[in-house]
Amino acid sequence: MSRFFTTGSDSESESSLSGEELVTKPVGGNYGKQPLLLSEDEEDTKRVVRSAKDKRFEELTNLIRTIRNAMKIRDVTKCLEEFELLGKAYGKAKSIVDKEGVPRFYIRILADLEDYLNELWEDKEGKKKMNKNNAKALSTLRQKIRKYNRDFESHITSYKQNPEQSADEDAEKNEEDSEGSSDEDEDEDGVSAAAFLKKKSEAPSGESRKFLKKMEVRTRVTLRGGLAPTTEEDKKAAEKKREDKAKKKHDRKSKRLDEEEEDNEGGEWERVRGGVPLVKEKPKMFAKGTEITHAVVIKKLNEILQARGKKGTDRAAQIELLQLLVQIASENNLGEGVIVKIKFNIIASLYDYNPNLATYMKPEMWQKCLDCINELMDILFANPNIFVGENILEESENLQNVDQPLRVRGCILTLVERMDEEFTKIMQNTDPHSQEYVEHLKDEAQVCAIIERVQRYLEEKGTTEEICRVYLRRILHTYYKFDYKAHQRQLTPPEGSSKSEQDQAENEGEDSAVLMERLCKYIYAKDRTDRIRTCAILCHIYHHALHSRWYQARDLMLMSHLQDNIQHADPPVQILYNRTMVQLGICAFRQGLTKDAHNALLDIQSSGRAKELLGQGLLLRSLQERNQEQEKVERRRQVPFHLHINLELLECVYLVSAMLLEIPYMAAHESDARRRMISKQFHHQLRVGERQPLLGPPESMREHVVAASKAMKMGDWKTCHSFIINEKMNGKVWDLFPEADKVRTMLVRKIQEESLRTYLFTYSSVYDSISMETLSDMFELDLPTVHSIISKMIINEELMASLDQPTQTVVMHRTEPTAQQNLALQLAEKLGSLVENNERVFDHKQGTYGGYFRDQKDGYRKNEGYMRRGGYRQQQSQTAY
Amino acid sequence: THTTRAQRVPPGAGMASRKEGTGSTATSSSSTAGVAGKGKGKGGSGDSAVKQVQIDGLVVLKIIKHYQEEGQGTEVVQGVLLGLVVEDRLEITNCFPFPQHTEDDADFDEVQYQMEMMRSLRHVNIDHLHVGWYQSTYYGSFVTRALLDSQFSYQHAIEESVVLIYDPIKTAQGSLSLKAYRLTPKLMEVCKEKDFSPEALKKANITFEHMFEEVPIVIKNSHLINVLMWELEKKSAVADKHELLSLASSNHLGKNLQLLMDRVDDMSQDIVKYNTYMRNTSKQQQQKHQYQQRRQQENMQRQSRGEPPLPEEDLSKLFKPLQPPARMDSLLIAGQINTYCQNIKEFTAQNLGKLFMAQALQEYNN
Repeated sequence: MSRFFTTGSDSESESSLSGEELVTKPVGGNYGKQPLLLSEDEEDTKRVVRSAKDKRFEELTNLIRTIRNAMKIRDVTKCLEEFELLGKAYGKAKSIVDKEGVPRFYIRILADLEDYLNELWEDKEGKKKMNKNNAKALSTLRQKIRKYNRDFESHITSYKQNPEQSADEDAEKNEEDSEGSSDEDEDEDGVSAAAFLKKKSEAPSGESRKFLKKMEVRTRVTLRGGLAPTTEEDKKAAEKKREDKAKKKHDRKSKRLDEEEEDNEGGEWERVRGGVPLVKEKPKMFAKGTEITHAVVIKKLNEILQARGKKGTDRAAQIELLQLLVQIASENNLGEGVIVKIKFNIIASLYDYNPNLATYMKPEMWQKCLDCINELMDILFANPNIFVGENILEESENLQNVDQPLRVRGCILTLVERMDEEFTKIMQNTDPHSQEYVEHLKDEAQVCAIIERVQRYLEEKGTTEEICRVYLRRILHTYYKFDYKAHQRQLTPPEGSSKSEQDQAENEGEDSAVLMERLCKYIYAKDRTDRIRTCAILCHIYHHALHSRWYQARDLMLMSHLQDNIQHADPPVQILYNRTMVQLGICAFRQGLTKDAHNALLDIQSSGRAKELLGQGLLLRSLQERNQEQEKVERRRQVPFHLHINLELLECVYLVSAMLLEIPYMAAHESDARRRMISKQFHHQLRVGERQPLLGPPESMREHVVAASKAMKMGDWKTCHSFIINEKMNGKVWDLFPEADKVRTMLVRKIQEESLRTYLFTYSSVYDSISMETLSDMFELDLPTVHSIISKMIINEELMASLDQPTQTVVMHRTEPTAQQNLALQLAEKLGSLVENNERVFDHKQGTYGGYFRDQKDGYRKNEGYMRRGGYRQQQSQTAY
Repeated sequence: THTTRAQRVPPGAGMASRKEGTGSTATSSSSTAGVAGKGKGKGGSGDSAVKQVQIDGLVVLKIIKHYQEEGQGTEVVQGVLLGLVVEDRLEITNCFPFPQHTEDDADFDEVQYQMEMMRSLRHVNIDHLHVGWYQSTYYGSFVTRALLDSQFSYQHAIEESVVLIYDPIKTAQGSLSLKAYRLTPKLMEVCKEKDFSPEALKKANITFEHMFEEVPIVIKNSHLINVLMWELEKKSAVADKHELLSLASSNHLGKNLQLLMDRVDDMSQDIVKYNTYMRNTSKQQQQKHQYQQRRQQENMQRQSRGEPPLPEEDLSKLFKPLQPPARMDSLLIAGQINTYCQNIKEFTAQNLGKLFMAQALQEYNN
């Protein structure tokens, strides 16, 4: 079966072939591909050497080898696949076969395969063990090969009669082939540039030229020399095997496994040895003795670039080559222009390295990219006479003429933007809870630094448009960071602190607030594209909100009118908008503006898709609804973890503000039929709480809020307080705020106030009068506060009472309708609608003499208005206008 | 809840037993024993001119006791009334309860139970003529389809039978509430026809006021009992009678209002349904009309071309008449609303009286 291997002479070609494969595979090449280093004419002549016949036969032998491998591991499925390919390949080679006759190895594989299959077929035990796919493939393949072999019957029989001889013959032939093809090996070597480069960088730069020359004079002999010992050893091993084989031939079946192992070992061993000498081969950039000039380098550069984006181009190698080229250029002092040009291209090809948008850069690539950009920036800063720009045409580039300003095509800003995107992508694709993420996050500083440099550069040279763009980048890297330094400075009043400290703080860099202000204002003034301005505004608001500058943030939001037209923006901007709104809400909450907080968060929270809307994760629920493509797009939109807004915090803030609004409202409108829910979400939570058969102590944040709400309903502010602010909730929520204590104090006060209101709503009916002192004791609020709260309630007509100043008591008025009165009012309303409906029936009978009845209906409506509780107030407000 | 058992057909044998039941009234403890003999013939003759229902005190007590022991909340209790017709009076002398029906004993044979009970009562010389049934109610919500059907089948079998409605809640407030109802002859006609379409009801000229008629009730006790009562009344403390004067009435009123509101809602829905039906019918009429016209035109054209006219098609097949909504339900709802309203009216009138009285007392005391 492995006759092909064991025949001594052909093993050499085998080894060289496998060696080739070993080298080429890792860099993604295949045989059909063009070698990368298409340098000069040498290549062309060699190509001729490789005849059509060789090419075809090589293809066949490759396939045959795969089949044999598959046979060894009993992978019949693979065999079947390969056999079909083989058939096709043979069809292609038909013309050559007609000329040369059917190649022996082809007959051999056919015969062997058939034998092999028959063996397998008869081996009932083995067949049973075989998995389903293999068994199926076996029967198919067996049939196919029978059919196929009919065409070659005569050849096969002759082969079977005299297998040894035909094998030898074939081996000889193969040897010739291999000699022919070994020439090509040299070309293939180009791809081992990685090794070359390592060597190269080690070598002192002066020598590099010599090195190139040496490369030039390397001969085929080195190759042969490297292979020679291998071949001999191979032969020995193979011969031994052949002897073994002859012995074993009769009891092949029983011993085959051992043999296979041996074969495998042999094969492995061969390959490694074969690969070693080849690694040393170097690519050559330029022909020997070529004078390195601008023109040559540029030509070379273009040559490399032309391969870019082509199928089968090895991108890694391309990067290596470009780097090599830079080195050569700098060694030859070709000037910064060329270097800048090449560097642009290196970065571009680094970005190109991943063919797919979804995959992200490898860390080493990323590092390389950062370094490269830094170097580029160095050069640009060092040489102010270099102009770069997208608008510079290839033709008008000036790379060498030092007298005039150098002009290079390329846009540094685009590169940086792309870099930023890559950074985001890396962050998106890293597990946020791993150490790796932290490592990556450290690069953020570098990214920021680069952006800052570009910003400085562009401020000098760029157009306003470019400045806007780079400013936006800067803003995007600033807006979400809480400025602790500025915060600290605010806390320590400037007059009290020592001057030196203040100076020091100032030296460390401007406040992010000032920075944001400056950048954003520039964008507001200069930007022409709507998107950048929108983003800048949103970031600005976010930043304000993050630093508790509520009124600035709110005013900016209202002035921008973004709420009206944000739905027309693209999803990432919408996500940013959502983030901003949420941050605004949280900010309002911190300021104690419950209502504003609730309103800001309502949209996000009520949808129940906060996670998705903030770009912080995909919902599993909708996973079925979208296809792969959409999911990829959505995945790309995700905000990196370090920008995330804590969802639990968000929900807690929302629920607590809903509680502070809803509970007093519910108490006030206990018996009102047309009472509306302020927050559906909150009610939902309450209902969930009610549905629980057994109420244990609260565990989750939601349970805490529900428990607190229940306490508040009874006006029991102390219990409510203990549910909202305790160890658990501190850990989960409140400690996440920058000024946690301040928030907590605010919250306690809010709870006290709202509990007082709730208490008054709920229990006012059982009091004739109540002393404010008592209330102030009960709710631990000072008297003026109680006074103001009650006054406000009275003014808003929420509480029917009056204040008796001398005795400091609240006297209830009892003008609230009783339950019966309320019922009666409701009944009246219902009857109104009943009458209306009834009249419609009547209309029908009469035909529609609309006018008269319509008037009457309006009359009913008017009456209803009087009956309605809010009617009075409504009318009042109408007349007020 | 009271729909479960309400469909109770009096056993056909009830009639037979009554006809042969001759001397059964002898056991009656009431003072009306003297007229019992005359009643026999009348009861047999089928003259249903019952002008009055005379209930024995024993029956009242038994009904009250039945509810107290078995009924609670919105649950209702039911039972069978026994007695006989005397002249223009229906005398109810005894009753027995129906057991509370549960899901478990589905095979419970009610007819069998009734027969057994009556036979047993007969053995101990108690009136065993079936003259109707009683039912407790929750805030007067008894005007239902179930009651209608049930009473119809009673009246169909035993002409003079009535249903006694006992309101435990009102009774608890200090005034016994027990009312006897029967279906009006008009409604009986309609129910016999089983046609509740709007047209039929219109033709029968039935309105919600004419569905049930109330029969006046007299509670009759033996003289001995009356004497005892007088004596007891004298002995009882003043405070025991004050339930009647209780001013805390809001709960009752509220409940009534709520129930009334529910019914009004139902009514609204019903009207909307009817409205939709009307609209759909007129739409269909229009379509029909259009179709006919088209047909006519086409036929005219055909005629002018000398072709035979198209065959007549059954229009009712093309335009299936819409199912009109049954009006009985809305009648019932209206009836129920009426009852509620009367309840409320009565209640508020009483209460206003009480309030004025209280005010007057207050002023006097001051």
